[in-house]
Amino acid sequence: MMAMQETVTSGLSKRAARCSSSATTRSNTVENRKPCKAHSLTIDELVFGREPLSLDDLLSSFPARTSQILELLHLFGPLNSPMLPVFVYGGASTGKTSVTLQILRHLNRPFVYSSCRTCYSARILFESILNQLLLHTKNEANGYSSIRRCERPSDFVNMLREALVDTINNLKGRLGKSKAGCANGRMIYLVFDSLELVQEWDKNSILLPFLFNLYDILKMPDIGLIFISSCSPDAYYSNMGYLDPIPLYFPEYTEDDIRQIFLRNQANRKLYSCFFDVVLRPFCRVTRRLDELSTAFSSLFKKYCEPLSDPMVAPNEEIKRRLFGHIQPHIAQALNEVFQVASQPSLEANRETQGRGIIRKPGSCGNLDEIDFHMSTSGKYLLISAFLASRNPATLDASLFDPKGGSDSRKRKRKASGKSLENKEIAEQDLLMKGPGTFPLERLLAIFQCITSVAEDFLDEEEQGDDLSRVETGSILPMSDVLLQLSSLCNANFIIKGGSCPLEGTTRYRSTVSEELALKVARSLKFPLSKYLYRQ
Amino acid sequence: MASSATVADSPAPPNPDNIQPFFVIHKAFSRKSKKKSPRAGKAKRKIDLSPLVSKNAKKADEESVEECDSMRMEYFGIVWSKIETTIKNVLRDMNINVFSDIHHWVRESFNTIRSSGPPSLTEATCSFPFVKDTTLKKLFTGLVLTKNMEFVDDLLTFEDLGLHLKSHGCHVANLSSLDFLAKNGIGGCLRSLLRQFLMVSLDAADISILASWYREHDKYNNPVVIIIDDMERCCGSILSDFILMLSEWAIKIPVILIMGISTMLDAPSNALTSNALQHLFPCKFILGTPAERMDAVVAAVLVGQPSTFSISHKVAAFMRNYFVSQDGTLTSFVRALKIACVQHFYVEPLSFVLRGFLLQEDCQCLYDAAKYGNIRLLDILCEALNPELYNSRGTDAQAESEKDSGRSPSNGCFMDRQYPSSRKDGFINKVVRIVKDLPRSQLYNLLKSWEERTADIIEIHEDVKELLFTLKSEEHKRQKQRSTSVSKRHISRAQLNMERDSQVTNEKAATLIDRMIRDYMHPLECVPFHEIICFKNVDKLQLALVGDPRRRIQVDLLESHKILQCNCCNRKGSTLLPSMHDTSIMYNLAQEHGDLINLLDWYQSFKSVVLCPGVKRKRKSKQKCKDMNEPQKQSEILNLVYNRARYCRAVTELQITGLLRMPSKRRPDFAQRVAFGL
Repeated sequence: MMAMQETVTSGLSKRAARCSSSATTRSNTVENRKPCKAHSLTIDELVFGREPLSLDDLLSSFPARTSQILELLHLFGPLNSPMLPVFVYGGASTGKTSVTLQILRHLNRPFVYSSCRTCYSARILFESILNQLLLHTKNEANGYSSIRRCERPSDFVNMLREALVDTINNLKGRLGKSKAGCANGRMIYLVFDSLELVQEWDKNSILLPFLFNLYDILKMPDIGLIFISSCSPDAYYSNMGYLDPIPLYFPEYTEDDIRQIFLRNQANRKLYSCFFDVVLRPFCRVTRRLDELSTAFSSLFKKYCEPLSDPMVAPNEEIKRRLFGHIQPHIAQALNEVFQVASQPSLEANRETQGRGIIRKPGSCGNLDEIDFHMSTSGKYLLISAFLASRNPATLDASLFDPKGGSDSRKRKRKASGKSLENKEIAEQDLLMKGPGTFPLERLLAIFQCITSVAEDFLDEEEQGDDLSRVETGSILPMSDVLLQLSSLCNANFIIKGGSCPLEGTTRYRSTVSEELALKVARSLKFPLSKYLYRQ
Repeated sequence: MASSATVADSPAPPNPDNIQPFFVIHKAFSRKSKKKSPRAGKAKRKIDLSPLVSKNAKKADEESVEECDSMRMEYFGIVWSKIETTIKNVLRDMNINVFSDIHHWVRESFNTIRSSGPPSLTEATCSFPFVKDTTLKKLFTGLVLTKNMEFVDDLLTFEDLGLHLKSHGCHVANLSSLDFLAKNGIGGCLRSLLRQFLMVSLDAADISILASWYREHDKYNNPVVIIIDDMERCCGSILSDFILMLSEWAIKIPVILIMGISTMLDAPSNALTSNALQHLFPCKFILGTPAERMDAVVAAVLVGQPSTFSISHKVAAFMRNYFVSQDGTLTSFVRALKIACVQHFYVEPLSFVLRGFLLQEDCQCLYDAAKYGNIRLLDILCEALNPELYNSRGTDAQAESEKDSGRSPSNGCFMDRQYPSSRKDGFINKVVRIVKDLPRSQLYNLLKSWEERTADIIEIHEDVKELLFTLKSEEHKRQKQRSTSVSKRHISRAQLNMERDSQVTNEKAATLIDRMIRDYMHPLECVPFHEIICFKNVDKLQLALVGDPRRRIQVDLLESHKILQCNCCNRKGSTLLPSMHDTSIMYNLAQEHGDLINLLDWYQSFKSVVLCPGVKRKRKSKQKCKDMNEPQKQSEILNLVYNRARYCRAVTELQITGLLRMPSKRRPDFAQRVAFGL
């Protein structure tokens, strides 16, 4: 996983040093980066970065990961010692990738990294590894092609062995004259990140056993394999006759860990700590993923600091109380946002773009009574029909949509009340678990015809009705392009079409709109939707 | 099937009687529609059979007709291109503000990404993530709300947006939902992305290629913008994968996403995984609503410029209703306008003679006022064009309500009830009422805009000026009073006076607009010779636009001989002839069954129709089967097989047209008819 730990925890000073060094040379480097400059890569490209990282810095940049770092360092062993395959696993955003990479940076050893997300097929994975090992860069001159074409695992083994031998010889040749910034030792490490994704794209499931077996197949002591995954080893291993890699677990952070991590790079620690007293507990109950938390906290903290004139102020009890009162209403909303409406423009974006004519959305979905996009009248009726078809049992259609309906609603109620309470609860739960039901096209169109005629009658009765609504409903005679409307509803994800051959005619549909939206649409048509909804 | 579809597509009525005078039009049309649908070519041949006879007969006439025809064509070209460019300009002007907002935001986001300087070459192309800040690792995402469930209108918008950003130096790729199909996987969208950026197509599309491409030329000063037209239609999991992959390369490739959303803002959170959502840093933009765009187009095309083409009240009402209740896209509105335009120029004999004409001018004035009351221009236009209302208005203002109530209902399904029956409820009246109640500042603005609009009509112009003057002087008075008067009672009395005064001004403004309406807003249809510029035939437009293909197919299948007009099938009465098309025979036979059709019965009746003349002989031959020699037997079997094949093909064709459903497993010998009266 692309862990966030480092983003939050990595020593800012070092990062800053690195950035500033690159900043000073930026003007030069920009000059140098002219088109197609033949950039000859050396073996040193295989190490993480040029600035060495001491053990203390490493440990201090990952506050809650000391034992894991030491364990991993132990597994890596001293210079030039062979290493058995390691399997690093743990939940998302627990620092697996960052810790591994930073350790390699600390040890200054050459490695090849490949993420199974970016490399979404065996071929791209193989070629990516070979390209890195053979120091090949894709550019316009070589038509952005890889150095070798490699699709099968058997080819890959041969090519990998060749490339490894070359690289290791190269490394050995430089032994003894190692200096700062150069690759250390003759070991080379292959890092496979996001291994759990392989199961998704490798349909034949030959790649995973192959990768786990790679160490045995190559039989080269100078290679170290590191697998990083968010799934536990149980998800992968089967008795396939290969040596299980050594597992290393990264546990979820505790509340204290999270507090430590976040406090690391705060300018005003006291204030942030007060902020944490308020928000950490409720949020940790929802998620402990650092990436999710940092998104939520960054905007919340801004909100928290709003009443303060000086952000560096040391908070006393009175200020604390004031800030708490200020932040409290926002917490519940932010708790939801972590999962649901993450697409809301954050406060920061708002402020940046204010006055630029960009209309921003208020906290909720705007006006509750209006749908805020255009939909034709027949499309609206079709949406309602689909909603009814999905919610109501098909057996009730006849009684609900009888032309002389109206008295039926009483009948329905009697029927429902006749049921025992227990049955009712079970049925309710059933409905909840099953979700909206499916329906064939015929039923949808039948309901559509019924409710459009009903709507016309309804509006006839209400002669006093608004002109506009009358104008709108005046012409919803069922027409051929109802089918067109249906396809646009499908495109808008309001109706889901069951996957089957359209010729067979057995396609079933399912409405996915929420009751809220359906009611909104019905309101805009002045259609009495609730009258037609079957309730248990 | 093909023929029926074409007839439904082509704007001329399929009735053979009508074809005769317009067959020249037909020719031009089939030429046109050929481009549109590949099926048309085949059908054309069949239709052409009929005019062939008349062609020879009146060859002399034809030449002059041809001449006229080319003139009409030419003139239509001129008028339509004018209208088209107007529409394009209007739409561009509407979008330009949002576009510049988006561009500004893109630049801002890019600066944020680049706040710590561009990564070095090795950093930029290295495979492992080097992260600096969580906020930087997020993908800046612009959510563009198109405000319309139908997507057609906005295809061009996003293309334009891409061009706009490109012209400002961004690297832009336009992806659509077709690039995010589940069956192509993530490779599909990467391939199309690389094809657009690198201009090469690679078999192993890999995002690292994009990173090295980005480092190559002078690209690192500009952001990479990826526009996804229709987010809702994309496969959610593929799009999520794509977003996660982009976020792995966050700083190395400064990607900024722009996604079009046609329904609601929570669409991304419904479609994407929470993990992917976590990586988005969204910002919202809103395009003009379809109704706004429609108003702008109507204002520019039908009201604003003095054009040589206009539409009658009924046509306007039809188009309005079609927009509100059926399609709701500007595309279809423009198409309707075009069809109306084409038909007008072909049908009206003198349409191409006149150039330049005057139209109602103060519809605009009304619209200016209507803006304050949220009333749509098209509604006003519809009412303004209604000749009956005008007549009633003209005869006697007092008796108008009585007259209106006795008004005969207009014909056509689109005409029913869409009009407020009395003028009191009318949109125009509403506007007048709005003018009466308008607050002072808004009234002032309104009068200002009227002043501009009425510059040509001196009489009105003077009145508007006078009103403006009184409004200004009142304002002065009020300010003076406010500064001088001290006592509270005084103020309140003064305010009361002021209110009365302003009431008078509003009253005056309302009378003014009422007068304008009465004196200057003549519905086009009350002007003599309006036929020359005004298109009136709703039925034709409806047929061309709506088509109603499903009913058409059924009707045409039942009466195929009327379209084919072949000599062999000139049947009298309702007998089925073997020379008819198989599918047509089958569909006719299916009418005798209910919802379920027994396949065997159907086959038997089909066979009996196809072998109609030889039924008896066949029965005989069946008995003599044993006596037949080998080749006879062979041919008999062949015949049987042939008939079965024809039967199967006809059934399949009916199935493909959606009129029939295949037998289910439960009832294998019954096919089901799919008919909803649609």
